[in-house]
Amino acid sequence: MAKQPKEESSRKALEYSKFYGGKVGVAPKVPVRSLEDFSIWYTPGVAAVSKAIEADPELSFEYTGRWNTIAVVTDGTRVLGLGDIGPEGALPVMEGKALIYNYLGGVNAIPLPVKVASQEALISFVKALEPSLGGVNLEDIESPKCFEVLDRLRSEMSIPVWHDDQQGTAGVTLAALYNALELTGRKLRGSKIVLFGAGAANVAAERLLVKAGADPKDLIVLDSKGILHPEREDIDQLMLKNKWKYEIAIRTNGDRVSGGLKDALRGADALVAAAGQGPEMIKPDEIAVMNRRAITFFLANPVPEMLPAAARSGGAEIIATGRSDYPNQVNNSLLFPAIFRGALDVRAKTITDSMVIDAAAELASFARERGINRRYILPTMVQWEMYPRVAAKVGQAAIREGVARKKLSPRESLHAAMEMIQHSRKVMSTLRKSGAIVDPPE
Amino acid sequence: MTHLNRRKSGGSRGAEGEPVQIRRAKKEELTAVADLIVRTKRLNNEFDPLFAVVADAKPRAEKYIQATQGAGDRLLLVAVDASKVVGVLRAEIRERSFYEPHVEGFISDFYILPEYRRKALGNQMLEQASAELKKMGAQIIAADVPSQNEIANRFYVKRGFRALTSVFGKAP
Repeated sequence: MAKQPKEESSRKALEYSKFYGGKVGVAPKVPVRSLEDFSIWYTPGVAAVSKAIEADPELSFEYTGRWNTIAVVTDGTRVLGLGDIGPEGALPVMEGKALIYNYLGGVNAIPLPVKVASQEALISFVKALEPSLGGVNLEDIESPKCFEVLDRLRSEMSIPVWHDDQQGTAGVTLAALYNALELTGRKLRGSKIVLFGAGAANVAAERLLVKAGADPKDLIVLDSKGILHPEREDIDQLMLKNKWKYEIAIRTNGDRVSGGLKDALRGADALVAAAGQGPEMIKPDEIAVMNRRAITFFLANPVPEMLPAAARSGGAEIIATGRSDYPNQVNNSLLFPAIFRGALDVRAKTITDSMVIDAAAELASFARERGINRRYILPTMVQWEMYPRVAAKVGQAAIREGVARKKLSPRESLHAAMEMIQHSRKVMSTLRKSGAIVDPPE
Repeated sequence: MTHLNRRKSGGSRGAEGEPVQIRRAKKEELTAVADLIVRTKRLNNEFDPLFAVVADAKPRAEKYIQATQGAGDRLLLVAVDASKVVGVLRAEIRERSFYEPHVEGFISDFYILPEYRRKALGNQMLEQASAELKKMGAQIIAADVPSQNEIANRFYVKRGFRALTSVFGKAP
């Protein structure tokens, strides 16, 4: 993303949003040569298509745009770092997400913040959308509600449901870790990793790390009350109120370390902080107790838990943040467009953790091929060629996992993704060249 | 000292792979037992504010537990992994003046540390307690859990228990 001061981008965002009246809209895919064509695209012709789909609802993936359409759904309860700002407040964010899906992934994404009174209402709303969609991206839903919503929807729907704040952040974190571990001569298995913060991102990261081969006994997870372990005073409360943290408390932390961040970091190889606004939430003396060649990620936006300079002074070797103005941006946008591109291309029924792990591995390989160093452990968004590559791996993983409705060879997967993504880029450049989309006024 | 009943999945195993023992508590274990008793009370508090736990719960629990020692109508079972107390079950023999059967073994407290749950340990402690209470004269086994504690309610229902009374409460 363009590097510009925050005030500048805020001013432009307000001005431009008003100028364009929103960022995305439904656009035609078919020609309208004359009004006669509406008898094909609409009644009476369309009835034949409806009848065919009625006889076999799976044909909705062939005869309509369903196969490439996802909804970007939120209840607006935890938007960016802004908190519970309501569905209307969330709309510009969902529009932005939809635009990224479209431009980088060739995915037809519909922004859909909803006003719902309860968790159950949110779940039934999303389930009711299934006939129109190839997938669902959940966004900015507060924790722990987001865990229950995702788990339920994943098991009750037969299209992929993705919660970007969980799986997306965890996936990019894993990719970054792969390369950081490589650079410091480590393997995932055997590395001691501390996850600071037990919200959406780190709860998902813990699960993904274990699935990717980390030993749960080598992981330590902290929430706002300190290190999670099976005998913490509030463990039964967690069992009743946040079963995800409860499971983590029991499964991780083989050495039964208790206490705070410094206790956790003693002898740790890597730190993934997704805990809240910094910039002095973590101190250099805490980083100093980590092992040599420490890996530290500070993912809070817009203010990381600790600024890179401070982490460096504590002895960190590899530092990543969620921000674009420092090296190594752990940015969900590196992954989610490719995840859905790949999943949609094979008509996946779900997105498994293995699909995310393969995507993370491919993202890491892409950066490695270009030469990783401590300031470059992840690709950046401008390296758009990574999206089709990652998408192809996601599609292949879906086929291997038996969750794909459509079988493609690795080459076909890559080709399909490439075509869709290039098409979106072409549409944008054509619309701009023709003046259908004008540049903003200066 | 009895070893764990091995019928179910070979019995619960502790951290060192040794079977978890279930037996009557020893005197030197009373402090550890009291800790677990306080945890049960805190857990109850999650279900209702009328179960708010007093500040000096720990010494009270110690006293409460000490009273079980040497009393012929009280039972204090512990589950022990290596030398660590990981579960406790306290019960007492009660008379049911107006009903038949006349004597009940009443389980007042039952707690297992999270790591040792879902390993059939609870079942084994309950079976062993039932057997001991029967020897002590109990003709029925009863247990007291918060109405809102669905996990505990399910635990007993699954093992053939049914709800007998409901205790209602409110601030006057």
